[in-house]
Amino acid sequence: MRASSAKYLVGQGMKSIWRNRMMSFASFCIILVSLLMVGVSVLVTINLNRIISGIEDQSEAAVTIKDGIDEKSRNALKDQIEGLPNVASVTFYSKDEAWENMKSDMSDEQQDLFRYADENPLPDTFRVTVKDIKLMSDTSMQIETFDNVDSVKSPTQFADVLVSIKNILSVIMTAVIFALIVVCLIIISNTTRASVFARRKEINIMKYVGATNTFIRIPFFIEGMIVGIIAAAAALLLTQFAYESVYNIFKNDMKLWSVLGVDNLYPFKKMFLKVTVSYLVSGAFIGAVGTSISAGKHLKV
Amino acid sequence: MVEFKDVSVTYSSGVDALNNVNLKINDGDFAFVVGSSGAGKSTLIKLILKEINATEGTVLVNGFNLKKLRRSKVPALRRTIGVVFQDFRLIPTMTVYENVAFVLRVIDAPAKYIRSRVPYVISLVGLEDKAKNYPTELSGGEQQRVALARALVNDPQLIIADEPTGNIDPALSYEIVDLLKSINECGTTVLMVTHEHDLVRYFGGRIININKGSIAFDEMIGGSRDNES
Repeated sequence: MRASSAKYLVGQGMKSIWRNRMMSFASFCIILVSLLMVGVSVLVTINLNRIISGIEDQSEAAVTIKDGIDEKSRNALKDQIEGLPNVASVTFYSKDEAWENMKSDMSDEQQDLFRYADENPLPDTFRVTVKDIKLMSDTSMQIETFDNVDSVKSPTQFADVLVSIKNILSVIMTAVIFALIVVCLIIISNTTRASVFARRKEINIMKYVGATNTFIRIPFFIEGMIVGIIAAAAALLLTQFAYESVYNIFKNDMKLWSVLGVDNLYPFKKMFLKVTVSYLVSGAFIGAVGTSISAGKHLKV
Repeated sequence: MVEFKDVSVTYSSGVDALNNVNLKINDGDFAFVVGSSGAGKSTLIKLILKEINATEGTVLVNGFNLKKLRRSKVPALRRTIGVVFQDFRLIPTMTVYENVAFVLRVIDAPAKYIRSRVPYVISLVGLEDKAKNYPTELSGGEQQRVALARALVNDPQLIIADEPTGNIDPALSYEIVDLLKSINECGTTVLMVTHEHDLVRYFGGRIININKGSIAFDEMIGGSRDNES
């Protein structure tokens, strides 16, 4: 193809956006809404996963050490626990630390009750975090068999709940995102079909004067791609605005919720590049392919 | 050149549109195709443009055997044919110049050639003053002249005019046929479908009458115009 023809085709594609501005606007809105729905769902899923992982990381097993063992056997036990494949970290938490911690959580009146306690009743413990929360109960049982271990308390029930929440969530979100994508594709192909239908006469004339199908499709392709990219840019701005607003609410006003891991949300900056690229690529793709497929339906003259 | 050999067309609805038609139009001919509506005139044109295929028989157009022509080669066939429709079929969003230039752009012609060829063809149909106007700003006769310029611009071997005077003033019809005649004198084959017998009687020439899917009459007749002069 000649450069002058290519320039002409690109020009035609851009001109027809304006010429068919109502239809272009309709496609723009549909692509914008589709990208927003899918994009926001994906972002919510990513963050929910992250929050749950955060909670998982925090959930630890408390290993109570038998009273009166020396530091050497304690360190040996620590090495033994660290040697287990599923163990991520082992922290020693002495009975004195535990005592101080407990007292600091109490009100003054409650502290009074313990003022005259002659002995610290709390044991030394190891706090053990695991790599895979699903294997928490297995790991706990292994630790229980070690010498000098009095007992192991692990949030196995909580871990099971977390794991099932995560599983259910990922099934639901996958289904929602999949359904959204299908619905969006149907709506987009119908919108572009209407836009192409409005120009079927033009396509018909092109066929009569001997235009090849490729030549007829290119302006539609370019037009759809440009509309898609513009819609993607708008979707990006809206997503960023909405995301940052929600992010700030969680960061500033809901600090109390941080136990639930809500402060684990990704900052938008961290995802900006990925979101931008996915929006632009899918916007351009949906626009271009949707329009040229619809144009193809009118090419059989 | 257009040649039909034992061509029959039966539509999927079961209607026999053409029955065993044999027809030859040589290069440089001018022929009127007449007949009542539903006689098979449109089917004839659709066959030549390969919009439809013959159910039986062979159609040869400008060296292409349409039976063997692959879909991807249809544009090549259509580039040798210029078509003028009753309803003009101009693109309303393009100026006269753009409508005519469009054909050359579609066939990937060099920009320089487009710039010299389009004004020339527009001047041939006498619309040089209207090149920048949009189709809606023109009269029916002018619009049909634009359509004619569009059909001519690619220098086709064959021009098919499908009821080109059907939507314009009778007085202007003669102008259009005159234009077609002068195009024919330059060597282009012209096939004009019409049901306006006055026009045919006036201009004369080869008349092909189609009736109920068969050729009822195919002869040269003298026109009244020739007697006038």
